[in-house]
Amino acid sequence: MNSTANLVNRLPSDLGGLPAEPIQQIDHVLLPWEKRCHALADVLDFHKIINTEEKRRGVEQLGSEMVGKLTYYERWIVCFANLLFQKGLLTPEELALKMEEVEARHTTTPTA
Amino acid sequence: MTTDTHHHDHDHDHDHQHGPNPHHQDPKNVDTPPPGYYEIMEIAVRELLIEKKLIGPGEIRRQIEVLDSRTPALGAKVVARAWVDPEFKARLLANGRLACEREFGISFYDDTQLIVLENTDKIHNVVVCTLCSCYPRPVLGLPPDWYKAKPYRARVVKEPRAVLSEFGTEIPAEVEIRVNDSTAMLRYLVLPKRPVGTEDFSEEQLASLVTRDTMIGVVNVSLANKNTP
Repeated sequence: MNSTANLVNRLPSDLGGLPAEPIQQIDHVLLPWEKRCHALADVLDFHKIINTEEKRRGVEQLGSEMVGKLTYYERWIVCFANLLFQKGLLTPEELALKMEEVEARHTTTPTA
Repeated sequence: MTTDTHHHDHDHDHDHQHGPNPHHQDPKNVDTPPPGYYEIMEIAVRELLIEKKLIGPGEIRRQIEVLDSRTPALGAKVVARAWVDPEFKARLLANGRLACEREFGISFYDDTQLIVLENTDKIHNVVVCTLCSCYPRPVLGLPPDWYKAKPYRARVVKEPRAVLSEFGTEIPAEVEIRVNDSTAMLRYLVLPKRPVGTEDFSEEQLASLVTRDTMIGVVNVSLANKNTP
């Protein structure tokens, strides 16, 4: 079989039936921003801005490298930003400027 | 994903200059590390959506309260009721969402349907979401990390007995295992088998035996379970 065929017939989140490691029974308490990100997903769904299936597809469209390297809620927030751009509700420039503003709020002068 | 995060006991050797900083409205920030890239993105997206009036200013906080109100203890109450009240059980199996809404006041804020799967002497049900992390959040809260990670999603549909045995659960060969794959609109809750020796238990005592993992179907309810998170 062609070496890239598996990229075509298996999208990054289509994991069912693949060989994998033993289950590690891990869990963690969500960080405050992760919980806010989860609540944001629900609120976006309530307002019919982004529904669950769009979110799942949006995560998949990040591609296998990002799906593999970003954590769960990192994938979600990047996916939301992309979907909001696609829907014309936010622009990349607005987000970049707002992120600079948020970062500046938290920047402290390093001590010697 | 690691989680060791709350460094509230760190030495306060950094400079606390409360100069003319226009952004010190949140005193908590003094003690917390600056947000990382993705947290900054989350804050920025949320603030932009509020500025554009696409979402309301209090909605995220209110939804966090809803999320915090959902834990496996809710699902455990539903299971215990089904064990003691056959008519409720019939209604629950006929329409899980309706029974939870009407008889427990559990709101299905994510607009999903709930199918309750009864474990019997012949059938053992287990729940997964192979494509992502769909889970009966209204009745169980948020799923554990292992439920969202690759090994469980990849393997449980192919070799459920091997996966269950990694949870310490051995299902006899003559019992059929059914693996139920969730979707965005359709969620599953396992109604586990009531353990023998609980005939005299009150509904409340029964609920205390029912853990999250028994309602995902990776373990059975046992008298040794005693509700640990």
